Amino acid sequence: MPMRFVPSAMLAAGLLLAAATSRARAQHEGHAPSDTAMREMAMGDSAMPGMHGAWHLMAQAIPVVTHVTHGAGSTDLTEGYLAQAAAMARGSLIGGHLQLAGTFNAEGLTMKRGELSTGAFGEGYVDRRHPHTYLHEIVATGLGRLRALSYSASVGRGFVPFGTDDPMMRPFEKYPINHHLAQLLERPMAIGAVRWRGAIVEGSTFAGDEPTSPSSSPHLRRFGDSWSVRGTVLPLRGVELQGSYARVASPEEPRGFGLDQRKRSVSGRYLSPDGARYLLAEWERTVEIDPARDAEAFAYESALAEGALSIGPVSVALRVEQTDRPEEERLADPFRTPRPATDLAIAGITQWRSVTAAVTLPGATLGPVRGYPFVEVERLTARKRVATSVFDPRQFYGSDAPWMASVGVRVRLGAAHARMGRYGVALPDDAPIRALGADRGGMAAMDHH
Amino acid sequence: MRRLARTSALLALALAVSCGGDGSPTAPRNGDASCPAKGSPANAMLVLGCGDFAPKRITAEIAVHGTTAYTTTWGNASPTSALYVWDVSAGAPVLVDSVLVTGASTLGDVAVTDDGQHLVVATEYAGGSIAIYSLADPRKPTLVSRFSNAETSPGVHTAEIGRVNGRLYAFLCVDPSNAVAAKIVIVDITDAAAPRQVYSRFIGSPFVHDTFLRDGVLFLGLWDAGMAIWDLGGAGKGGSPSNPVDLGRVQTVNGHVHNIWWLHDAATGSAQYAFVGEESPGAVGTSSSGDIHVVDVSDMTAPREVAFYTVRPTATSAGAGTHNFSVDEANGILYAAYYNGGVRAIDVRGDLGSCADAEKSTPANSVVALCDLGKMGRELAVGLTDRSNPVYVWGVQYQNGVVYASDMRNGIWALQALSR
Repeated sequence: MPMRFVPSAMLAAGLLLAAATSRARAQHEGHAPSDTAMREMAMGDSAMPGMHGAWHLMAQAIPVVTHVTHGAGSTDLTEGYLAQAAAMARGSLIGGHLQLAGTFNAEGLTMKRGELSTGAFGEGYVDRRHPHTYLHEIVATGLGRLRALSYSASVGRGFVPFGTDDPMMRPFEKYPINHHLAQLLERPMAIGAVRWRGAIVEGSTFAGDEPTSPSSSPHLRRFGDSWSVRGTVLPLRGVELQGSYARVASPEEPRGFGLDQRKRSVSGRYLSPDGARYLLAEWERTVEIDPARDAEAFAYESALAEGALSIGPVSVALRVEQTDRPEEERLADPFRTPRPATDLAIAGITQWRSVTAAVTLPGATLGPVRGYPFVEVERLTARKRVATSVFDPRQFYGSDAPWMASVGVRVRLGAAHARMGRYGVALPDDAPIRALGADRGGMAAMDHH
Repeated sequence: MRRLARTSALLALALAVSCGGDGSPTAPRNGDASCPAKGSPANAMLVLGCGDFAPKRITAEIAVHGTTAYTTTWGNASPTSALYVWDVSAGAPVLVDSVLVTGASTLGDVAVTDDGQHLVVATEYAGGSIAIYSLADPRKPTLVSRFSNAETSPGVHTAEIGRVNGRLYAFLCVDPSNAVAAKIVIVDITDAAAPRQVYSRFIGSPFVHDTFLRDGVLFLGLWDAGMAIWDLGGAGKGGSPSNPVDLGRVQTVNGHVHNIWWLHDAATGSAQYAFVGEESPGAVGTSSSGDIHVVDVSDMTAPREVAFYTVRPTATSAGAGTHNFSVDEANGILYAAYYNGGVRAIDVRGDLGSCADAEKSTPANSVVALCDLGKMGRELAVGLTDRSNPVYVWGVQYQNGVVYASDMRNGIWALQALSR
């Protein structure tokens, strides 16, 4: 199978890294918060939960080669590109009362056709993960405190308080199939959050429409047509329980004429203080509603469990997932579906099951740049959820059990961000997951002013 | 025995390969005995035959002219679609040929010109077009021209055809893209070899899904913007295909206006009603939703909805939604493709907008009661819900006492039409 690279991706990656290098301060790997900070957080007494000082800059990219057997259209494919090419910045000002978060994502340049990923779907891509928007995230957050109660308000474009963390900060290069069921991202939004000791409540309003391309701007006239709430409990050190609900207006039809979504998510997460042991279990259900008839049209469920263990410089991770995927009419390119769709029909629902195993090998250093090689293997099965559906995965893929294998390197300048998808007081002060590639930092020093 | 079986298989394969350009569909099965039923409800339409070729491709629209039927395909897993040609001279359709259409993953519409000389096929998606075929030999369509331009590029969802002042036109409903809204494009195809665009307009919320032309009046299905009526020269408002004049518009209940039929009842002379199909959400092959809305167009400047027809779920069957129509105007019977609900035959003669209170219902998510054609006893028969294989009927066409139905799951059916 021919391999295809995007030479411009390498140039883009170099520019990103150079920009980050010119602005980055000294960084330390392994940002486990101090015991004091953790205690303060648990008691709700920390000065400003969610951020402990400093600007935090990071740039990353993942050169990766993926081989798929029995991919879309019954083809075997091998492709390579630069995935998750991004530069991130987090800053704290005015004594921690103002936080800024920004992520520039270059995937629109480095993987315009989308990343090969059997089972994936969203934003008009299928069996490929769509490239994220260039302005992936830009959020300003104001924080305050009233005795034991801390609060924050965030505005900008980013992650809606719903579901679990973005897979970019989780131990696998390939996103889970449930990405569009478990996260709501790249939306213009306003969020309010309150925190009392180990309990967090967030509420948001946002524009429901998904991006239509990496360069698309949000339809601001739709701001406020959707909302979400999320409750999070931190009962024990490193343990996080989450439940959230969202009503999203016409996410897939930018003019507002599509089906609405009612989304639910429940999850439990554990991360050891040093980031070496990680567990996540989640369940989501998305119901699509025809607003004209006020009737349920379709429903999709997902259940996922993943874990990672770092032993010395080596990390292993395992993910199991079962997710329903709506099938749509495909374009001449079997990896694309019409956007916007030309009616309200789907071709069926496929129940996907996958098992993914990943190994992250010891990192190598080149000046300030670190690279963490990894190997990832995924086995999937796909079957019709309803026997009468016209979409037959066995016929389409030539098998009901495709495979994927990827090798790559997580290249990073600066320390890994611990979380992605939370802001202000809703952001627990965790260490990054070591399986993403982090030196043994243990209780290493945090960022400095 | 083994040698005989092997020889038979080779003969069957040879027959299949000789049938046309789309690989080797298996030999169709003919006769009602080959289209097994699972029951015999009292109001079932009689099945004359089926053309079931265990299709590799998903069947879409149907058009019938004389003794030949044409079915298109949907959602092909490649940039090449297929058009199938059937002999319908006997009761059961027989597959005789196929035509491959390149640069199209879906052929969403097919129509035969009124003189039977040409076949027009709509193609989706990118590189949307209409392909015009000569039917000099109706069983061997040959490509005459293919019309596409920047305006049709996102995809041509439907292409109805008809004459205005002696010239033949195609009315192309063009898909929206993220950057460009939906539009209608009107093409003069009088010279099939040199089609010429005469008009276009952005219209529809967010789609313009289908049109219906009759007597110089064009009806447009504008999804959530309702149904619009234009004068193209038949309503005395100075309109023309190159300069349509808006006459009126109506918002039918629940929107999702997909298709229209303006009835001219041959027996009564009435042209009072237009039937509007609502295509609400559905899972292809499994479920569907959406009603038929009856609009009084006696005043085209102020059309109003007066009745509706719905297929509700019962203890033994799921609800269903409508798709395309064909009307036996001589008998005043509308045949509606109803996806998983098969084919519905509805009496549409007479006054549809007057009924007793007990004959009224409120459509889904509505508070306004309308005459319910089902409660009025106007559902005459149901076709294809009595089959062993579940059906998902996309289109129907009435011709000479037979109703032909295109079934996305199984192929093509021929049903005995009703008579008064």
